[in-house]
Amino acid sequence: MSTPLEVLLLDDEVIVGKRLKPALGKIGCNVEVFQDPELAMRRIAEKDFDIVVTDIYMDAMDGMQVLERVHERSPRTKIIMITGYAMIFLAREAMEKGAFDFIAKPFKPDDLRAVIAKAAKALGTSISFDSNPVNG
Amino acid sequence: MQETPILEPEKEDTEGQTIQIVYDHMADIRCAQTTLLSRRHFSVRNQIYLSNVLVFLFALGMILVLTLNNNRVEKRLKFLEFVNDFSSEIQQARRYEKNYFLYGTNLNDAIENIHLAESIFITQSEEFSELLGGKKARQEIFTQMGAYKRLLEQLYQREQIDPKDFHSTPFSKTSELKLRGYGKDILTSAHSMITLEKRTLEKTLNRSRTIHLYSILGLLVFLAINAYLLVSRLYSTLNRFSAYAKRIASGDFRPIVPQRKFRDEFTELAVAINEMIKEIDLREAVLIQTHKMKAIGTLTAGVAHEINNPLNNIMLTVHMLLEDFGKLSQEEIIEMLKDVAAETDRSKKIIRNLLDFARESTSTMESLDLSVLLKNTVDLLENQIRFSGIQVDLQFIENFPKIHGDAQKLQQVFVNLFLNAMDASIKGSKIQVIGTLGDKDNSVKVSVIDYGQGIPQHLLSSIFDPFFTTKPKGKGTGLGLSVSQGIIAKHGGTLTANSEEGKGSCFTIIFPIINFPEIHAFSL
Repeated sequence: MSTPLEVLLLDDEVIVGKRLKPALGKIGCNVEVFQDPELAMRRIAEKDFDIVVTDIYMDAMDGMQVLERVHERSPRTKIIMITGYAMIFLAREAMEKGAFDFIAKPFKPDDLRAVIAKAAKALGTSISFDSNPVNG
Repeated sequence: MQETPILEPEKEDTEGQTIQIVYDHMADIRCAQTTLLSRRHFSVRNQIYLSNVLVFLFALGMILVLTLNNNRVEKRLKFLEFVNDFSSEIQQARRYEKNYFLYGTNLNDAIENIHLAESIFITQSEEFSELLGGKKARQEIFTQMGAYKRLLEQLYQREQIDPKDFHSTPFSKTSELKLRGYGKDILTSAHSMITLEKRTLEKTLNRSRTIHLYSILGLLVFLAINAYLLVSRLYSTLNRFSAYAKRIASGDFRPIVPQRKFRDEFTELAVAINEMIKEIDLREAVLIQTHKMKAIGTLTAGVAHEINNPLNNIMLTVHMLLEDFGKLSQEEIIEMLKDVAAETDRSKKIIRNLLDFARESTSTMESLDLSVLLKNTVDLLENQIRFSGIQVDLQFIENFPKIHGDAQKLQQVFVNLFLNAMDASIKGSKIQVIGTLGDKDNSVKVSVIDYGQGIPQHLLSSIFDPFFTTKPKGKGTGLGLSVSQGIIAKHGGTLTANSEEGKGSCFTIIFPIINFPEIHAFSL
């Protein structure tokens, strides 16, 4: 087992954080959960994360802004966008701005795990996730 | 959302049914039509005919009265002639009689004249009996004349018997005196008759003049009244109809209701206008429905996205529950199930708002708190608002008066105004809704203000025209503001726009508080 992946999860839906923290913990991620983008940005300023998972539409700040800010600060951080407003132009915009991947809500924990595994691979590490999920 | 054609032929049937439900004006229009037609018929044409007949009868009466009077004048003139003849015969007789007493001549002539006078009197007096002051007066003249004649005849006879020195006989003397008396009496009677008759004739002529004058005046008054009645009838009705036309043009589609006790040519016009109103009303209902479908489309897209959030929460929770079921404590399981329950509830609410808006219901006017309606509208639009990153600020004065209105239709108006404002605004700006009392008594004012791109001055006058749109093809139908204005007009209110290019726009709706025309107008 390699060093755990540092993951920041930002979504103003409380339940998303509550469920994904243990779900990602299981595949060897060290997850910090935020609902408030401001607090999340402050944390990002303090610490380099391997992966940032962020919602796009939030009241205080846009996920796109988070994407840009993280990219500026730490280009190697993989950013995964999740959103309920899954529209082609949003996905395109996110990818153009350098997001690693784009997941449309609703998704299963394994969907995110698979993307994170892919990101880990891109980062040069590997995590204990079978990309052929059992309960898919 | 793509542009929806206004009248898809295959849709027309269902559309028609919807309209029957949404708009219950049809029954009122039908009712107005029957009431209009059930009145007694009194056409303008009949009025003209009738007045002409009356004028003719009046003139006829006038002519009759004048003719009668003329006859009377004629008769009096004849009578005067007769009395004149009569008196001249008598005078002649008296002249001869005088001659006789002076020179002893002409007694025959006198007798002849008195006979003539008598015959004139007898033949003519029948005819003029009523003018001679009755039987008695006639009898008197007749008696005097008889006495005069008898005396003359006696004189004649006696002279025949004893012609010599007859003039100096006492009989001749007394006869002369008597004859003078009789002759004078007859002449006096005749003269007084002439004077009387002349006076009466003058009176009759005067009356004739008066009749002329009054009948002309009467005719003038009659014609004036007739013209006044006809003109005021036409004028007031035309005025009324031009007011109707203005009213209909302003979007008030209440049918024309009977204003008079009779029907005429204008009734046919009113019936035709009501038919037209029915058509316009139907078309408008179709437009409102079309526009609503479009709004529902926009909102549905928002809801479809918004629902993904609770759905995602449920999905994540349920999958984690499945995954870790054996390892979780009972408390954890209960907490997760509670989350699922709460999120399903949230989904239901999201959908219900839209369903409430989309539901087709009958048009019901009810007491409405606009501040609540606006709050609900903001909730309905929550997704769009969030999506556009615009802040909506509701400011209503305390104790905002309630109005009478159709909640669904008004919500459609506000949805439209909000969507427009959001389209015009940039991310991070603000939309303000301000509810205050209106400037006029018994009215309230709701303004929807955005700080977006504004509307160019030269377009401001056309924004309420149907099918006018500045949005790219396929994005706007150009129905929103036109339909909104129609709905507000049905509430007896006004919808106006103010805008400055580059600074923003302000749409102001003014509602009457007491006046709710739809209810009043239709309960005839």
